[in-house]
Amino acid sequence: MTEAHRPRIDTLPLDAMQCSILDLVLDMIVPPGPDRRLPGASQVGVPAHLMAWAPQLIPLLAAELDRLAAESRSRHGCDFPALQAAQRQALVDAIRLVEPGFMRQLALETVTCYYQDDRVLAALDEPLRAPYPQGYQVLQGDLGLLAPVRRRGKMYRDTP
Amino acid sequence: MAEDIVDVLIIGSGASGAAVAWSLAETRMRIVCLEQGDWTNPAEYPSTRRDWEVQATGPWSINPNVRKRATDYPIDDSESPITVVNFNGVGGSTVLHSAHWPRFHPSDFRVRTLDGVADDWPIDYATLDPFFALNDRNIGVSGLAGDPAIPAHQPPLPPVPLGLMGETIGRGFNKLGWHWWPSDSALITRDYEGREACANLGPCSSGCAKGAKSSADITYWPAARRAGVELRTHCRVREILVDENDMATGVVYYDEHGVERTQRAEVVVLACNGVGTPRLLLNSRSARFPDGLANRSGLVGKNLMLHPWGLVQGVFDEALASRYGPAGCCLMSQEFYETDAARGFVRGYNLQITRGTGPVATARAGLVRGTIPWGPGHHEAFARRFNHSFHIGICCEDLPELHNTVTLDPVLKDSHGIPSPKITYRMSENSQRMMRHALDRGTEAMKAAGATDIYTESPVRLAGWHLLGTARMGRDPERSVVNEWGRSHDVKNLFIVDGSVFVTSGGVNPTSTIQAVALYIADAMKQRLANLFD
Repeated sequence: MTEAHRPRIDTLPLDAMQCSILDLVLDMIVPPGPDRRLPGASQVGVPAHLMAWAPQLIPLLAAELDRLAAESRSRHGCDFPALQAAQRQALVDAIRLVEPGFMRQLALETVTCYYQDDRVLAALDEPLRAPYPQGYQVLQGDLGLLAPVRRRGKMYRDTP
Repeated sequence: MAEDIVDVLIIGSGASGAAVAWSLAETRMRIVCLEQGDWTNPAEYPSTRRDWEVQATGPWSINPNVRKRATDYPIDDSESPITVVNFNGVGGSTVLHSAHWPRFHPSDFRVRTLDGVADDWPIDYATLDPFFALNDRNIGVSGLAGDPAIPAHQPPLPPVPLGLMGETIGRGFNKLGWHWWPSDSALITRDYEGREACANLGPCSSGCAKGAKSSADITYWPAARRAGVELRTHCRVREILVDENDMATGVVYYDEHGVERTQRAEVVVLACNGVGTPRLLLNSRSARFPDGLANRSGLVGKNLMLHPWGLVQGVFDEALASRYGPAGCCLMSQEFYETDAARGFVRGYNLQITRGTGPVATARAGLVRGTIPWGPGHHEAFARRFNHSFHIGICCEDLPELHNTVTLDPVLKDSHGIPSPKITYRMSENSQRMMRHALDRGTEAMKAAGATDIYTESPVRLAGWHLLGTARMGRDPERSVVNEWGRSHDVKNLFIVDGSVFVTSGGVNPTSTIQAVALYIADAMKQRLANLFD
């Protein structure tokens, strides 16, 4: 999808419960970093990214979030956000087994969004700019390492 | 109403079409090139944007089936383990290629004589040598003289930086006593001919905003146009017309407004790559050529070679800043390039060292490969790999085989209703043995260099850059489509100048050799202008 065709909607068409569950799932894909320098994936604007780059996932997303909500109530008698972490993980793992394609795609889009976030890039010591025009410095390298190769002499086959 | 008759009509403005246009321009003939795509605006390349990585997975994907621009045509590769990748626009696939620029070896032109398989080319390395050199000077190639794996030549510019990762793998190769050498690269490491030097933007395969990558749109085309060649964009050719004397008379194409037009020509030059060229020939059926134009041999579209690609990723404890630098150009090893029957296969492969990837690509690849998990282990696994890893890309020489083909898809069509190409390809037993050997050697090299974690993959699906063999050259009209200087055996004013004419695929990225062959064919045409159709 080109920039010109991106819908100008920054919020997913999800209700409050679905949004809460989505945030928890996103943090299960990429949790906050242990030293708090890195946010969790729920903090980097994944919904807007999905709207812009993967709108085809939205209907499936709503359905799977509803499935998690229903499973939570039927298995544990409470809402998904109220579960313990291990219980939430088990339910999500079960979804990954029955809907591997969707969950894989959600994870890919999540990390795609995550690793463009300025806080994440700053924590990785990545400059917060486009590559062009400055580019980057790269070590020229020690061509003296080629000495053993030079000593070998000709390697290619002659032809008649 | 038919348009006027031009002297030379070139179809396709990529690597080979551009080189031929430039070369023939000195004849002062009236030359027109029809290109289905458009010029790219360097300001729009992903590297000018913060979201450069995401752009490369969507609108600037190398996969036309993902990119889906109006100038693309869909390709059915469901019966191939390798996806065809390309770019349709002025400069062709050189706009998005990685610019790794090794030459074929002399032995690549004598495969039958030396190794008892496939066929010999009707030309040899010595014939192409001056054209390799001419091309390197024309476009700006960087490298280091003295490589013992290839005949002596002098790249006009110094080599690309190795980086810490290059030194690391170089030491690994040295430990094993293997060959390695800084790669010839079709990018400029110094200011050259009015272009500014490479700034190590990184994502060469989504276009060079700097203009340092020596793509055909900014090297040959400016000079060709100044010399009078007319380049018409958004002109998609549907078929080549032929008369009762088996002479091409021109083409039918759709112009930028979608209007069907006819362009008459005295000479037609096909430069549409190893998929586009057979597609057009097969779609140019007539009473004289019921099996496709210039196809009395039955070989148009056959012997497709794609260079099955393998991947070895090495992860190192040391921070290597590996994601910086020209992504596909660093150094290579040709230790296993020439045939050694003791290995259990014939022919050989190239080990191309490629840089690490950006943050998004590192994370995505890690998820897909299972090396970067969800959850608590994610950050640690990511940190182990980002800027701590790089790759060995394995380019395997595959042999020409009749069952590997480009045909016209019975259902899929492009936006003008022209049948799409269908790719049917399987790796031979020889290729599979070669790939297994190469993965093992790549792993060995990474370990020797100090890698603590290694991932391998083959064949890499999104690696069908090298499209070869589907209109092969040869002296026997029953066993080839064009003669030794690129003229069709069946249609005396039709020339093919792209990778379709390759008899064998070599074990390296072919574009340096493609352009050398194109320049050689153009030169042969110029020498024979007085009796070109004899």
